Amino acid sequence: MRLRYPILWLLLGLFVAASVIVSMPGAGYARQDRDATLAPASASHPAGTDALGRDRLVRVAAAFLLSLAGSVIASALTTVAAAGVGTLAAFGRASMGWSSMVVCDVFLALPWMFLLMMVRSALPLTASPARSATITFLVLAALGWPASARAVYHGALQLKSSDWMLYARAAGLDRAGIVRHVIPSLFHLLVPQFLITIPAFVMAEANLGALGLGVGEPLPSWGGMLFELNNSPMLMQTRWVYFPVALLVVVLLLLEGVAVEA
Amino acid sequence: MLSARRILIVFSALLPIGPATIGAAQAAPRQPGELAWTIGYDPKTFDPAKVDDEESETVRYLTAGVLLRFNRLSQKVEPELAQAWSISPDRKTITFSLRPGLEFSDGSSLTARDVAWSLRRVLSPVTAAPVAEEFVSPAGVTVDAPNDKTVIVHLPQPVIAIEKVFDEIAIEPAGRPSEGRVTSGPFVVADYRRSLYVRLHRNPHFAEKDSSGNPFPYATGVRLDILENTEQEIRLLQRGDYDLIDSLPPDYFELLRKRAPALVRDLGPSLNTEQMWFNQAPSSPLPAWEREWFQSRAFRVAVSQAIHRSDLARIAYLGHATPAYSFISPANTVWYNRSLATPRTGLEAAKTGLAAAGFRLQGTVLTDAAGHPVKFSLLTNTGNAAREKMATLIQQDLAALGMQVTVVTLDFPALIERLMHTQDYEACLLGIENVDPEPNAMMNIWLSSSPNHQWNPSEKSPATPWEAEIDRLMNLQAASAMDSERKQAIDRVQQIVADQQPFIYLVYPNALVAVSPKLLGVQPAVLEPRLTWNIEQLRIQGAR
Repeated sequence: MRLRYPILWLLLGLFVAASVIVSMPGAGYARQDRDATLAPASASHPAGTDALGRDRLVRVAAAFLLSLAGSVIASALTTVAAAGVGTLAAFGRASMGWSSMVVCDVFLALPWMFLLMMVRSALPLTASPARSATITFLVLAALGWPASARAVYHGALQLKSSDWMLYARAAGLDRAGIVRHVIPSLFHLLVPQFLITIPAFVMAEANLGALGLGVGEPLPSWGGMLFELNNSPMLMQTRWVYFPVALLVVVLLLLEGVAVEA
Repeated sequence: MLSARRILIVFSALLPIGPATIGAAQAAPRQPGELAWTIGYDPKTFDPAKVDDEESETVRYLTAGVLLRFNRLSQKVEPELAQAWSISPDRKTITFSLRPGLEFSDGSSLTARDVAWSLRRVLSPVTAAPVAEEFVSPAGVTVDAPNDKTVIVHLPQPVIAIEKVFDEIAIEPAGRPSEGRVTSGPFVVADYRRSLYVRLHRNPHFAEKDSSGNPFPYATGVRLDILENTEQEIRLLQRGDYDLIDSLPPDYFELLRKRAPALVRDLGPSLNTEQMWFNQAPSSPLPAWEREWFQSRAFRVAVSQAIHRSDLARIAYLGHATPAYSFISPANTVWYNRSLATPRTGLEAAKTGLAAAGFRLQGTVLTDAAGHPVKFSLLTNTGNAAREKMATLIQQDLAALGMQVTVVTLDFPALIERLMHTQDYEACLLGIENVDPEPNAMMNIWLSSSPNHQWNPSEKSPATPWEAEIDRLMNLQAASAMDSERKQAIDRVQQIVADQQPFIYLVYPNALVAVSPKLLGVQPAVLEPRLTWNIEQLRIQGAR
């Protein structure tokens, strides 16, 4: 990756701007200005306030950071799991390869929305918003690895039958040595998988939040803010209610752009 | 409303209404002199004896002739088909005298025989009429018709406010139940197209007349369009296609107010309440120290004192709610306790009360005497925007006391499972929809032995002296024949509830309606049906 790509610079710029906004003195994503609910844009609230008088800009910035951090960590976990399962399946016994792919298929066939609902309802009621956010992203990671594992498996199988691998095995390279050489050779697969999964997780969290299953109040999330769009009288009161969805589209385009560039 | 005397915990999830679902409104052109408004779904039945849903009840109200009518504005019972009635001193016998010259909509005579047949049909277990249970022991009720004009009802035991039950019983031709096609009320069912509309025509033989001798009803008919889209409904009201909206959510009320302020009316507090409560049930799986907090009067009062009810009304209901301190709304003119003394509100009072009860603020965290941090979850149902907002506002109000509140929204089945079965919850925020001002209808909530005694359901014996006193007072008012004694008992229950705060009442949502200026004769009432309770007097300007 080269930082000279404008997309990456834009994304980094957004990240820095969001970090500055949430760390400014007096900026609290849960702070309610009860005398300024659904206020229009002003010097004190540049993107107005929501129905509870909370600064929309601060909440959008916090949601962006939370979503990005959660999605990057979940995507990293997914990629590590996919690399492990795909490599073991390709270089292990044939039965292991076959059974691993069956497990992948089963995971891909799971009704993940219902699974997430079950997990959410099984959480203790006193689970803090931060904990519920962590669990949401962990569940996304747990459900997101099989597609990547399939891609890694097929890449690893090609490596296994490549000429250099045959030479290496003929020369007596042990299993640990093989893995040491194979993993770097799979980077060209793992990095795009990692980058592609990030916007997918951002979107998944937004969808969950819009269904009321994501991050709990007062922690802001894309989905929670998209939920506001369900109220048509509010749509007619302020156009700033579209701000979160507009930024979400921009962020998703940038993340997709980064993945394509990579 | 399922029944005019029942109290319902609001089970409706109030799903958000999307702007894109445009139904088949205005399926039929309006006929001259016809009134038009909407109902949310198809009535489940047109048989007035089997009504068990709100829209069927709307049709029944418009078509049924009843012996007595409960006036929604004056909140008093008035004669309709009966010109007079009397109740015996032992309150077990009710005698009705019918008006002279009564006829059904097909021109046939209406006599005491028809009345007795209609009452017996409702009381019969074969009919399975929901209203029958309001006689308490319907199997023991007998009905006699000694002559054409007199009907006598014998009850096995006195029933509180028995007169109002007759507001829900339609008098039909003996042996000819017609599902609203032949009635003794202002309208008859003329046409029904599933998912499109119900059309009612004027009953030309309706008994009532105005002071000048003109026959009621004034309107030639009513068309009830089946439409569940508030946005489209208000657009069509603005266009003049509809004449009224009987109930509006606050956000749509505000939207319409901005577009056409002359159309909307805020009638003030409704009978409904929104409240939160803590789980005090000894059988709940909560840690002992949490149960101890929730059973502590000081804890509950401090929570109540710290909640800014005016903010809840202003923000969650856009100003269309009234801060609440009692289970009876000021709209209930007969039973509301106007001299109710409530605990002093404010953060300092709450902190003082908590400190006296052994709670300590350590930094920003409140702890109990044993050092447990005070944190709990507050449940409410998913999809009710006003409740979700109230819960988040309360979360911040209680954070000022050092309490850490987690707001949890659950779908209704999951919520009910926790409230009614597992009792695995700490605090809950819900509403109660009161469709009847009669406090006796709330027995199932206040008696400690009731499964709906939410903070501690189905107690074998009252857990506290004040719950025992509520039991005693509620039973006293149920058995008393004297209105003054009943009022005194209900006033005292309201005071006990205000002192002990087993339910922390938050707001009374206001009754919000919209009326076309062309609709004449409207006298809005808080009780439902708010705009059409005097349907026979309503008419479109210039239509007659």
